[in-house]
Order: sequence, then structure tokens, then C-alpha cells
Amino acid sequence: MRRTLLIASVALLLAAATAHAATPEDAIKYRKAVMSTMAGHINAITLIFTGRVEHEKFLLSHAEALAVGGEQMGVLFPAGSDVGRTEALPAIWQEPEKFAKAVEQSRLATAGLRDAIRTGDKAAIGKAMKPVADSCKGCHDRYRKEEQSM
Amino acid sequence: MSRAAVFRRFCSLATAGGLLLVALSASAQSAVERGRYLTAASGCAGCHTEDREDAVPFAGGRAIKSAFGTFYSPNITPDRETGIGNWSDTQFVAALHDGIRPDGASYFPAFPFPSYTGMTTDDALDIKAYLFSLPAVRQANRAHELPWYLRSRLAARAWKLLYFQAGRFAPDPSRDDSWNRGAYLVRHLGHCGQCHTPRSRFGALIADRELAGSPSGVKKDSVPNVTPHEADGIGTWSAPDLELFLEIGMLPDGDFAGAGMGQVIDENTSQLTGEDRSAIATYLRALPALPDKQP
Repeated sequence: MRRTLLIASVALLLAAATAHAATPEDAIKYRKAVMSTMAGHINAITLIFTGRVEHEKFLLSHAEALAVGGEQMGVLFPAGSDVGRTEALPAIWQEPEKFAKAVEQSRLATAGLRDAIRTGDKAAIGKAMKPVADSCKGCHDRYRKEEQSM
Repeated sequence: MSRAAVFRRFCSLATAGGLLLVALSASAQSAVERGRYLTAASGCAGCHTEDREDAVPFAGGRAIKSAFGTFYSPNITPDRETGIGNWSDTQFVAALHDGIRPDGASYFPAFPFPSYTGMTTDDALDIKAYLFSLPAVRQANRAHELPWYLRSRLAARAWKLLYFQAGRFAPDPSRDDSWNRGAYLVRHLGHCGQCHTPRSRFGALIADRELAGSPSGVKKDSVPNVTPHEADGIGTWSAPDLELFLEIGMLPDGDFAGAGMGQVIDENTSQLTGEDRSAIATYLRALPALPDKQP
């Protein structure tokens, strides 16, 4: 009985420990999932804001979800998640301070857009879109390899 | 003539002279203003600025890696010793139109004179006026790192004899103004084909594959096909999709451009008027739809 308990608690401990360290493949999968979510929301926000679709009542929900993505950005690039099928460039881990600044920029920009949409002021929303776009393409320009399509 | 009459004549002359001065400085001002716009549309800062945060725009020094070696862009601020401060209008225009340095030697086509050759002389001179309005920066040019067979400028001259044809842009009267403006911006000022059109093994752009994508971009990645091909190009993009992309960098699926295009959007296409972005879209959407080359 005591032996069984011991084995069970060791197994539990191991499970707890491994739950903290995702495999690089799963870390990359999660990163891609969050990034695609953000792409979907910013796309939706742009379509609504430019009047190409009329779903204004969902504008804030999209912006809130986008800001959650901005908050997650900091955990999306753990050490070791630079292997296999990823477009993340080594510069992310080679210049961590510069990259951390870019991550913070993404958090601030998406939060700024959410706050502007909360006020409902069109001019403020338009102004808050630019830092989001700048943050997205700024990071992709420096830290993402373009997929090999040819 | 009475003293009063002399005084009146003096006043009218002074007024005329003053007006003339105002007019002259206004036209100089507008040349600089037009030049600022054209310099953005021509993407000069992208190559002529080093890739570090505190770099001074246009002072040169950026490494441009190519299949033929590494080129370092020169200083184009008006510094008389290390920049282009001593250049005459003729020399500046000859560089853009004919790929000729003030000392008579030829440029390597890493400098996109094969595109800029189509630029009007007026536009070239406005760009010069803008560059000469900037502060002179003293920063010596760095020598290119090239294989032995390219170290002589004769190689650049030979390349030009084989592959380069000088000539200004001639509008196509069978197309509308928007298409023609777009053609001028895409082919000449924006020199889009320098990355998006594939090259022969000798580095010449393959004309019948215009903008159909290239396997070797400056960042060593493949550069996408931007002809209106459904599967391989931008055939599914609407005109507003394309214009929005050129303005803020968002692709139709919400993703954002990177790998060099982000910088092109920041420094070039986002600075243009909506009308010019729409002209670029008109031109791109009217290109022949080409598939990616079959392997």
C-alpha cells in the first residue's frame, strides 16, 4: 500500500513537472494559434472600421480579444522553441532585450486600440490603428522568416 | 522726376523684387517638397540608411547582400567630401538615368538605375533638391565585398552593355491615367521588380516574368508573386485589399507583411497619396497573371 502511494505521488510529481515544460512542437503550435487568432481579429476590426461590413456591435469584442493576444505575446517565444516548423528567426533569442521591447510595444498598441474603441471616438480609433499595424509589421520584418512559397 | 515719383518707382521696384524673391523661394520650397514625396516613392532611404537604430537617414553604409557579393550603399547626404555635395545636376541625373558615376565609371546594378532610368528629369532634380536640403553628414563610404572577377568597374560597364537600356517612361495612350501613373510608380520610382521579378544567372531581370516572384530576395528569402494569378499571386485580392496592404501592411487574411516589405510600406507606400496607392493597385491588377515557375 505504501509502495503504491509512493509510486502514485512520484507519477503525479512527474506529471506536474512535465505540464510546465511544453514540447517545442506544442509551444510553436500554441504560438501559431494565438498569432492566427490575432490576425483574424485585426482583420475583422479593419473590415468593420473601414465600413466594408456593418458589424459594429462586435468591434469591441474583437479589440478585447486582440489585446489579450498582445498580453500573451511575452510567453509565446520560450527558449528552445526555435526548432522544426517555425518561421521565428534566431534574432528573437539573440537580442532578447530588443525583442522584449518589441513585445511590450505589441501589448501597449493592442491595449491602446481596445481603449480607443471603448471611447467610441472614430478619430481616436483611426489613430490607434497605426501603432498596431506598425508593431505587427515591425516584428515580422525583423523576426519572421517569410514562408518558402517557391 | 519729382522726389515723390522717384520714391514711388523705388517702392514698386522693391515690391516687384520682393515678389520675385518670394516666388523663387516658393518654387525652391516646392521642389524640396515634391522631392521629399518622390524620394519616399523611390524608396531611397531603404538602402541608403544603415540597419541600426541610431543610423542617420541617407548617410549610407547598409550591407546589401546579393548572389554576387555584399554591396555597401553610399552616403547621399550633401556632404562635400563623403556624400554627394559636389555633384552637379547633370551628374545626379546621369547617375539615375544612365548608371554613371561622376568620375565616369559605371555603377553595379545593385543601385537600381535600370528602374530609375525611366524617371523624368524634373522628378530626378526634385529628388536632388530634397537631398540637398538635408543636413550634410560626414560618413565615409565602405568598399563593396565582391569576388575578384567583379572588383573592376569594367565588369559593371560590361553588364550595362549587355543588359541595360536607358530610356524615360513613355505613357501608354491605350491605358488610362491611373494605369500609367501606376506603371511609372511600380516600374520606375518604386523599382518593385528589383525584388519581385526573378533574375537570370547574370542578374538581369527576366522581363516576361515581371513581378512573378523571385527565389532570392535581399534577405535570402523568396519574394512573392504579385501578379493577379489566383493561386500563386494576388488574384484573390480586391482593389481595397491591395490599397489597404500598401497603406498599413495588412494582408487580406489579417496577417502582416514582414521580411523587408514592412520597411517598404513604412518608408514608401504608406507615405503616398491614396490616389497613388490606387494607381499601383490598378497597374498590378492589370498585369498578366503568371503562375510560379514549375520546378
